[in-house]
Amino acid sequence: MKKLLVILVALMLVVPMATLFASGATEGSGATGASEIAVIVKTGNSGFWQNVQTGAIAAQKELQAQTPKLSVTFLGPQSESNVNEEINIVQSAIDRGVKAIVLAPSDVTALVPVVKKAKEAGIPVVIIDSLLTGDSSNYVSFLATDNDAAGRACAKTMIELVKAKTGSDTGKIAVMSYVAGVGSEIGRVGGFKDYIAKNSKLQIVTTQYSNSDQVTALNQTTNVLASNPDLVGIFGANEPTAIGMGRAISQAGIAGKIIAVGFDGSSVLANFVKDGTLQAICVQSSFNMGYLGVKTAYDVAIAKKTVPEKVDTGFVMATKDNIDSQKVKDVLY
Amino acid sequence: MSQITTKDRSDSPIESGATKSRSRTAVDRFLTTGALVVLFTIFSITANNFFTLRSVLSLILQTSTVTLMGIGVTFIIITGGIDLSIGSVIALTGTIAVMAADANIPIWLSMVLGLATGVVCGAVNGLLVTRLKLPPFIATLGMMMVVRGLVLTITNANSRPAPEAFGTLGNGSVFSYGQKFPGIAFPVIIMIAAAFIFHFILRWMRIGRYTYAVGSNEEAARLSGINVNRVKIITYVIGGFLSALSGIILASRMVTSQPNGGIGYELNAIAAAVIGGTSLMGGSGTVAGTVIGSFIMGVLTVGLTMQGANYFMQQIVIGVVVIGAVAFDQLRSGR
Repeated sequence: MKKLLVILVALMLVVPMATLFASGATEGSGATGASEIAVIVKTGNSGFWQNVQTGAIAAQKELQAQTPKLSVTFLGPQSESNVNEEINIVQSAIDRGVKAIVLAPSDVTALVPVVKKAKEAGIPVVIIDSLLTGDSSNYVSFLATDNDAAGRACAKTMIELVKAKTGSDTGKIAVMSYVAGVGSEIGRVGGFKDYIAKNSKLQIVTTQYSNSDQVTALNQTTNVLASNPDLVGIFGANEPTAIGMGRAISQAGIAGKIIAVGFDGSSVLANFVKDGTLQAICVQSSFNMGYLGVKTAYDVAIAKKTVPEKVDTGFVMATKDNIDSQKVKDVLY
Repeated sequence: MSQITTKDRSDSPIESGATKSRSRTAVDRFLTTGALVVLFTIFSITANNFFTLRSVLSLILQTSTVTLMGIGVTFIIITGGIDLSIGSVIALTGTIAVMAADANIPIWLSMVLGLATGVVCGAVNGLLVTRLKLPPFIATLGMMMVVRGLVLTITNANSRPAPEAFGTLGNGSVFSYGQKFPGIAFPVIIMIAAAFIFHFILRWMRIGRYTYAVGSNEEAARLSGINVNRVKIITYVIGGFLSALSGIILASRMVTSQPNGGIGYELNAIAAAVIGGTSLMGGSGTVAGTVIGSFIMGVLTVGLTMQGANYFMQQIVIGVVVIGAVAFDQLRSGR
């Protein structure tokens, strides 16, 4: 029995190693002539990022016509707050000698050193979705939703809808955010709060952080609604947060009685807009981030072209009125 | 001091281990219950709408799943093990139940499938620890990663909605009386039932006494004729079952599958057990203690949110409470 176990464990170790070496030999980069572009996102664990992957795969298919050996890999840590793991994934891409890296940094400053290392190793880096501080010559291009503009658009929508519903421009609202300190959050929630402060008398009573966990957002929203029964508006700043928030609103029985604005466009959120639980969602084009990100990386690393420094991948405000339009359908997933 | 303790443990491990834990936990329980009452009172005074029927029922509902997970992990920790795979099992079991329901399998059967998945995961944990003799930390850490990878692969990381009827378990209640009384939510009833059942198992059934025995002194338990491996596997299966129950309740509350959910939940479950008097060294702990520990964290989380306290402050406060609880326990047992 014991011998059998030993053989089994040995196999468990050997087989994955063998497959790694085998695939490495045919798809490896650099010396053998095959080309890898590594797409590294904040987490493998979410519909939003998976849609980025869909865009990346679409770009890969197109570009393989010109470069058959092109391979686009897609990786991310377990959770968006796991910054160290993301750093390690980037480091291992550098060690593999990839041709280019497309990176969505999960922290504005922590990823700077490793991006610098990539630049020094001659690997161009394209940043998507979230800001990276520091010297902008560390990366070749920045593709994102203009999160600041998107946050302001959400604030504008919130102010308009509250005015339409209550007739006044005063009232209490709450902000349900996700991971404090990440670039996209600083832009989005920062833009939202700034617009609200400058253009209305609405008062933000609390900001909560769900760590991008739906149940946490559900519980936090329930508690915020309970302790602030006169809340007129609530903003959910990313996909899992908005889903949890929507559920809490529907369970508290106040769907339609509070102006709820969400962010991102999964099918669950689109349904919430259709049935009136959420009044609007701001949908980023995550597909574009993957698609244009890979194409830009390819242009720099393999086609050796120059690329624009900043690309706005765009967003769409979806409400009940336009949810079925083609423009909105294109960005939903 | 330590010599006396060893001697005390090694003769009749079954009796002395269980008695020791019982007398210590009586004082423990008094102190932790006291702490819970104090916290509840503080928040009732300082947080708006905290001390209302609706809020209290909501608090109990929100804490119910951590309590279930905590009870499961209590059994495991008493035997000297640990389970880090709880969060991933929650994601997998909830997702499997939702996928089955989406495939038009009757809701009750889908949930049973989810529970069965949890039992299987628990059994695998148990086998890794007993047959392959892996340290529980490593075995369950590996399972945490494998199970998470599995659920992400089968769903492509996408949350999918479940049929509306799937949400009855998590959102329905009994005795509801319109607006006046929101009713006792089903998950709360499940939590109360589970607490009673598993308290009975741990305290009064033979498997409970064996659990304490294995945790107090494994070698002596083995020499006394207890099938130590079987006891350990059973504790991991209980842990897997209760994790699955939590996972299904959470999927039902959200009416969606969350392959990316549950991250870090194992730490809340372990904290609940530890605050409630379960020692990470093994050999002591009770279901009642874990329930109280879980509610202490629940009251803190809900209370601080409703008070409008800075979210980051919540993290600090809860961390301090966990450290304080364990430090207090260490000091009292004279280690």
